[in-house]
Amino acid sequence: MEIAKVKEALEAVVIEAENGLDVTVEHVYASDLMSDVLAFGKPNSILLTGLATRQAVISAHMAEFKGVVFIRGKRPKDGSERFAREHHIILLSTHLDMYDACLRIEAVERGGLAVGDKAAAKTVSDELLLCRELVIRGNDFAGAGMVSTEVKSILKKIGLDPKLVRRVAISTYEGEMNVVMHAKRAKVNLSVTPRLIEVVIADEGKGIPDINLAMQEGFTTATEEMRAMGFGSGMGLPNINRNSDELMIDSEVGKGTTLVMRFNI
Amino acid sequence: MTTKDLIDKLGLRALSTFDDRDVNGVFVSDMMSDVMAGAKSGNLWLTVQTHKSIVPAANLVDVAAIIITSGKQVPQETIDIASKYNIAVLASNLPTFELVGKLYALESFKK
Amino acid sequence: MSECLHQWAMTNVQFGFVVFEKCFHCNSLGTYFSAEDTPILGDKYREGDCYWSRVENAQTFRFDLQCRQCGREEKFGDLMGLLHCTGCLADCEVEAMQKKCEQDRTWILVAFGFIYKDKRQPLPPAKVDILTDYFNQRRDTSRSLIKIVSFDLIKDLSVCRGDFIHDVGMLSLEPPEERKHLF
Repeated sequence: MEIAKVKEALEAVVIEAENGLDVTVEHVYASDLMSDVLAFGKPNSILLTGLATRQAVISAHMAEFKGVVFIRGKRPKDGSERFAREHHIILLSTHLDMYDACLRIEAVERGGLAVGDKAAAKTVSDELLLCRELVIRGNDFAGAGMVSTEVKSILKKIGLDPKLVRRVAISTYEGEMNVVMHAKRAKVNLSVTPRLIEVVIADEGKGIPDINLAMQEGFTTATEEMRAMGFGSGMGLPNINRNSDELMIDSEVGKGTTLVMRFNI
Repeated sequence: MTTKDLIDKLGLRALSTFDDRDVNGVFVSDMMSDVMAGAKSGNLWLTVQTHKSIVPAANLVDVAAIIITSGKQVPQETIDIASKYNIAVLASNLPTFELVGKLYALESFKK
Repeated sequence: MSECLHQWAMTNVQFGFVVFEKCFHCNSLGTYFSAEDTPILGDKYREGDCYWSRVENAQTFRFDLQCRQCGREEKFGDLMGLLHCTGCLADCEVEAMQKKCEQDRTWILVAFGFIYKDKRQPLPPAKVDILTDYFNQRRDTSRSLIKIVSFDLIKDLSVCRGDFIHDVGMLSLEPPEERKHLF
């Protein structure tokens, strides 16, 4: 199974993948206990773990694993990226928890992505051309729009079709506004391959109680104050849906929402 | 699906005495911190940790049962304290990833 | 004004370590939370008359609680961890309370605050109660209850043989072994 497929199935973001995601693994090991990884892990495996520290990456390396996926949105901070780069280990992060991550990979192994119709069609074994991570601060109305502007400028620089760049920028802007209005903060991950642009906005916030309702044009939970500032017309999610080629929404009330938006090149 | 159903369907070994309960979901982690933050009441908890402190952790978040995977030996201390709290400590020889696969195959846990 | 019956949820979850340090001058103990990725054991530093050295660390997380209805936030940065009493001392107040509560299917956990130069920093009773409420909101209370008590009740921490609910040895590449007692 290719790590690119794993990334796809887990809606993961790339932390480190210097040589791309076109790497094949034979086994999956799910554990937070590194002594087990060393004792029982097989070469050419991928590790799923909640232990977001350099030890996880070192253990994976010593056990001759090809990659590590950190679950529950965790990311290591302590020089793990450098170690991974030096030793050619792919690092990914998924918002899914361990159980869901295992299920999704299982589905890939069985020969079908468990992620819903739209995503199933893709065979992403493409080279990762670009990967950027940005941060949106919730409730920062003054700074709202800075991240989508940055995304637009990055995509323009690499010479993509202006109409496509506009669609990505609008979608990202709408996603950014939702974060500013309804969340504490969000991590934005932009990835570009020769065939696809992917923007993931993972926030810590209120969450969406009823996604179907939220997708209806005109439905808004914006406050009077926000509407006075010109936000919250209720067109956010519908606009994203209209402008993107694929949209996946995962949300938990009281925890947050993750939007995965994809655009075909 | 109850704990006893799971034991039958998955061929688990029941190590402690316990109250049979409905299981409503699965939480997989070897980190107490993740369990405390994320596990829900009535969940099945899969882990390779066997230290007796998994029992008060399980109790605190009110999981329905703990499955120790990967054929780990469970200390008698852990079993005794689990029995005292009537929490099911079950054992499987399968590694965590494979056991998740089997759980998925049981109707109740399909998403 | 009607009181909100708070429905608590965890928020601001932050992973890190509880660091235990000893002053080899006055032999007192200190604990604190560190959000560092890997606290270095044996790290020494001087503070006034005290010469501190880190002797242990445990992977843990800190959190705050927020009411889902009214948005009120209670910070729990002063909670070091929760300890399960193993009944090591028959005359310990916690053990006495635990024995009594067991009859009503109420399970006790001890909320530890941090320690500075052997001086305990307990959580205020109101916050301990909020913790009790929070954990009871996460379960079917007709089956069993949780009661959180303060580590004030433990007379002598150095003889306490309770188990903390936290991750020990996660950073080790060696198989898990016997846990050290922290006090």
